[in-house]
Amino acid sequence: MNPSPNARVPRRALAVWSLLLAAGGCEFSSEERATTQRGYRGTAMEVTYDERAQAEKYQQIVNNIPVPVPPAGMSPPGPLPWQNVQVLNDISVAEFNRTMIAMSTWVAGTGNCAYCHNVLRPQDDTLPNGTPIYTKLVARRMLQMTRHINSQYATHVANTGVTCYTCHLGQPLPNGLWFYDKQTDYLRHYLDRDGARVISTAVEPSDANRSSVKQTEWTYALMISQSKSLGVNCTYCHNTRIFASWDEAPPQRVTAFHGIGMLRDLNTNFLAPLQPVYPANRLGPMGDAPKAQCSTCHNGVYKPLFGAQMAKDYPAVWGRPEWAGMPFPGLGYPGMPVDSAAVTGVPAALPPANVSGGTNRP
Amino acid sequence: MLEYQNLFTRVQVRHAPDPGLAIPGTIAGARYGKGTFSYLAGKIGDAQIGPLYLGGWGIASLICGFLAFEIIGLNMWASVGWDPVEFVRRLPWLALEPPPPEYGLRIPPLAHGGWYLMAGFFLTASIILWWIRVYTRARALKMGTHLAWAFASAIFLYLSFFFQPLLVGSWSEMVPFGIFPHLDWTSAFSIRYGNLYYNPFHALSIAFLYGSTLLFAMHAATILATSRVGGEREIEQITDRGTAAERSALFWRWTMGFNATMESIHRWAWWFAVLVTFTGGIGILLTGTVVDNWYLWAQKHGVAPNYPAQNVLTTEQLQELRGRYQGAQPGDYPTYTMPAPAPMVPDTSMIAAPPPVDGGTQ
Repeated sequence: MNPSPNARVPRRALAVWSLLLAAGGCEFSSEERATTQRGYRGTAMEVTYDERAQAEKYQQIVNNIPVPVPPAGMSPPGPLPWQNVQVLNDISVAEFNRTMIAMSTWVAGTGNCAYCHNVLRPQDDTLPNGTPIYTKLVARRMLQMTRHINSQYATHVANTGVTCYTCHLGQPLPNGLWFYDKQTDYLRHYLDRDGARVISTAVEPSDANRSSVKQTEWTYALMISQSKSLGVNCTYCHNTRIFASWDEAPPQRVTAFHGIGMLRDLNTNFLAPLQPVYPANRLGPMGDAPKAQCSTCHNGVYKPLFGAQMAKDYPAVWGRPEWAGMPFPGLGYPGMPVDSAAVTGVPAALPPANVSGGTNRP
Repeated sequence: MLEYQNLFTRVQVRHAPDPGLAIPGTIAGARYGKGTFSYLAGKIGDAQIGPLYLGGWGIASLICGFLAFEIIGLNMWASVGWDPVEFVRRLPWLALEPPPPEYGLRIPPLAHGGWYLMAGFFLTASIILWWIRVYTRARALKMGTHLAWAFASAIFLYLSFFFQPLLVGSWSEMVPFGIFPHLDWTSAFSIRYGNLYYNPFHALSIAFLYGSTLLFAMHAATILATSRVGGEREIEQITDRGTAAERSALFWRWTMGFNATMESIHRWAWWFAVLVTFTGGIGILLTGTVVDNWYLWAQKHGVAPNYPAQNVLTTEQLQELRGRYQGAQPGDYPTYTMPAPAPMVPDTSMIAAPPPVDGGTQ
């Protein structure tokens, strides 16, 4: 078949388009790449997003955030009627019930009270046959943890705060839980290891730093796991010409630093110690409790839930992390001395002011 | 000697295979087989395959190479529990790793890098034996030994990855055998020593590498462009006028005012290629021995520019943020031991006493 003269124009157009596509790199549709400058000009400090993938992730995460439960109404006057309420005993009856409903949606499915409670005797920590309800014991500790995060780690969560949903996303088990394993050795930086630094602070070699290339690979694995957890590339937190420099690093690196400290605290004081509470099928191959890493809350997003202001609607997740004088590191036990002053019908603890204008940094 | 047609007009003539020059001496001149012809080989080179000289050095080299290949392959296979499917599926990520840092320069057990050292020994032996073969074959043909010395330059770079760990005092610095693992090592090595891009010998090596490709393209294109007038018959054209050789020389003189000669262009190419690996090897040997942080070295000597700080931190803040080294000794690479669970209430029954079993319905 002889090409008609008209066929020449589309062919030339095709050639031009192929050239443009080639110039755009490997991505077939280069216009969907969004690049944000993160550092001084000329340093190639950029964060690159695939806009379509990011939009899909946004739809998935933000559109699924549960609608806030309507505000609590009036509570009956007088002392709180609770039995065996070891946490959340500094909020009103109505706020308490509202929080319970919200928690079922956040973790176990709306109205699934039986996930944590003996529905015949909700005050019990055991089933009618005497089996401890481990989910209730864990949830109690997690409530302490949530308040601990919101009160102690403004350097990481600012005043956006967290709720159960931030990690659980409506599921009983959050994403990114990890156990001891050869493959997760680097994640112990979030528990009991330290020293990701491998670069020397002087030009010449000295005994001050004998870090090996193997240790560097360990740090590298840790950093890549953070990069994946947040869905960002290295330059989100580093000037990659010198990873160690804080001067040349974007401020987000400071936020991340506090996040690592927070994870160590949470894993050491809240998650790992729950080990005896869990049934065997919730433990890792070496019998350890599930632990958190960056992706547990971040779920591939630079700010969990894209920074949605969710905690501000729930006064119960703010306030003192220890209730009724309960010593912090334990779960409490019957007959423990109780600070009676705290067990009164005080109004719910209030979230910090200025919740709506949350910024990424304190 | 066959014919002078170029690749596209080449006529493949079948005749008795040409055994090549007779070389005095039974061993030096020995060749195995009679030779055969391959049509496909004739499309890209000479159609005659063989006869081949192997000799004692060649046989020894092949045996050593086979041993190294087997040790690496079987170790990789063992690392996936001898599962053939997993072996193929994960092959790009499998590795035979050097001994961990805690062994320093001592001989480790087989499973902790002993196999690695053995594979490294046989691979090195194989390469050096092959180098001897390259040298002796060139001498047997009364050639110069340029090929052997160019190969020696590459071997120098290869051996610098053995001598650098010796100088630093740890086998663990050596390059793992494996497809992605050796690439990961490259990143880790650069990060550990403060960004190898600031190593001036690395820069020289890259300059010669890119220069080599440029020279290769210029030379190859020049000869191909003059092959229509017999450009590939380089030597016999040097002294004649109006030949392809003179045209190619004129072309470059007209284009850039200066031209190589038929002989010197190959000298340039040889030196560029040899200097890629030679300067690279020097750069490796200086790393960790003379310079521990190439970025700081570049700052000290005014090579790396200073950019405005993105974080303005006080000394105290810097001190808090500065990471800690894993330890003063290279053996402090995190070992795999499970920490004891943090203290907690010893028994879940202490958390809440079981309720009195008064006609439980379940």
